[in-house]
Amino acid sequence: MSAWTKPEAGPTLLFTPGSSWVHAANPLTKLAVMLWAVSAAVILPTAGTAFLILGGVALAFSIGVGRPVVERLALTLTPLAIALFVVHGMLIGRPELVLFGHIAVSPRGLADAAGILARIAAVLTASLLFVTTTHPADMLKSLDARGVSPGLSYLIASPLLLLAPLTSRAKDIRDAQRARGLDLTGSWKARITALPALFIPLITLALTDLDHRALVLTSRAFRARKQRTVIDPPLDSRRQMWLRRGVITIAVLQLGLVRLWH
Amino acid sequence: MALIEVEDLSFRYPGTEQLVLDRISVAFAEGERVAVLAANGGGKTTFARWLAGLLPEGILRAERGHVRMHGRSWPDWTAAERAAAVQYVGQVPSQQLSGAAFTVAEEIAFGPSNLALPIPEVRARVAESLAICNLEQLAKRDPFTLSGGEQQRLSIAAALAMRPRILVLDEPTSNLDPASRDAFIEQLAALPAALTVVVCEVALRPCLALAQRFLFLHEGHIIADGAPADVLSHPACVAIFGMTGVARAAADVRERGCWPLGLELPLTLEAGLRSFRTAERALGR
Repeated sequence: MSAWTKPEAGPTLLFTPGSSWVHAANPLTKLAVMLWAVSAAVILPTAGTAFLILGGVALAFSIGVGRPVVERLALTLTPLAIALFVVHGMLIGRPELVLFGHIAVSPRGLADAAGILARIAAVLTASLLFVTTTHPADMLKSLDARGVSPGLSYLIASPLLLLAPLTSRAKDIRDAQRARGLDLTGSWKARITALPALFIPLITLALTDLDHRALVLTSRAFRARKQRTVIDPPLDSRRQMWLRRGVITIAVLQLGLVRLWH
Repeated sequence: MALIEVEDLSFRYPGTEQLVLDRISVAFAEGERVAVLAANGGGKTTFARWLAGLLPEGILRAERGHVRMHGRSWPDWTAAERAAAVQYVGQVPSQQLSGAAFTVAEEIAFGPSNLALPIPEVRARVAESLAICNLEQLAKRDPFTLSGGEQQRLSIAAALAMRPRILVLDEPTSNLDPASRDAFIEQLAALPAALTVVVCEVALRPCLALAQRFLFLHEGHIIADGAPADVLSHPACVAIFGMTGVARAAADVRERGCWPLGLELPLTLEAGLRSFRTAERALGR
């Protein structure tokens, strides 16, 4: 990536700049390995999935993205873990129950909850490793370089890019509606009643934006050619290409083998 | 010789009765700087979009009249040809961004890359546009974090990177604060001389700074076309823009001492006032 196109990490991106071998790997290779990890999380037993998570977290620390990965994992998984353990351990009726004081808990339910949580955590760890080491711009360039349709690349890029302006607009609408007397600090009922006054203008403005965005894209010859020029695409090699093919083959085979086994 | 010609163009939006553009015929020469003045709702945006060939193809084919460049009507151009020939910059700065670029440089490179130009050509165009619009220091910034004025300069830079023959600006300063507006207007002076620029505006200041020729669009018709002073002193123009606009224009000219392009200006505050009174009498107020 040359100096003039090297983007700064934006506030809405999880990307953490670095110079590790994972950062340097081609985004498509990382995506393939991530897909393999997801498929492994689906078929492995809970203990195996736990190893996958630990391996992922250890790798994250060794390449300098440990903190953002662990922070996001904790933020996402904590409420999920509580909900899963409550639902599976206490609310779903099961034959064998163990009493902890006044609370009856199902060990089988807890094991199920742990299994589900481990799978989600493994998928999340793999995804976080991917997004913290891959700038979306590099991902798009890799797709463009592989001849993927510009329309598909745009579908991937635009939500990441438009998130910040949309958030800012949502705050503006909230402030404007508050200034007109909309109560957002009262009871839950009042807050839910206020939601249409916030969402309707946001959606209307987003649709107006779409019209303008379409004009800009037409004006800049978007999709006028089948392929775009790619400046400074991320490095790729035959070795990485074969690695990708191998990893995707294993991912598909392991899923297929499990289906056959069952 | 005309570069682009609007021939007998009439247009009404689907489901409406009133014509937004009514039998308009006008031509623009290469390198000409033209201001299209109209009040709010006067058809500026519709005219600008027609001129840039940006309305849906069904509309471009179905309506009466044509916009022709080099003798070919817009529907006969491919999307790539049209994008390389004409560029459009609209009113709201943040809405002029493609939504596909993570940096200012990438935003500028977006159009040339879509044309599948060779890498050195894309790089050269980006460097040139950054320089013209004074954006070199911002090349690595996220376009959505720029101020409105910077975003509007970026829109111009992205348009220039397509190397168009015509640049259509639709109220480019209407969403800018006074300081950003002034900086943007100064920037317009740096546009390449061969570029035909059509600025559709309700504000006089950018028109005075940029254009040698004014058109006044009212109720779908062009009712005045000529030197800025002649159009500004047209009774209908004075009546619609009011004394404030004309006085401000005259004050602008007094401040500068001459038109931006060195032309003598026969318009004074007193002349503007006389025209306004004439218009008032004509309108029976």
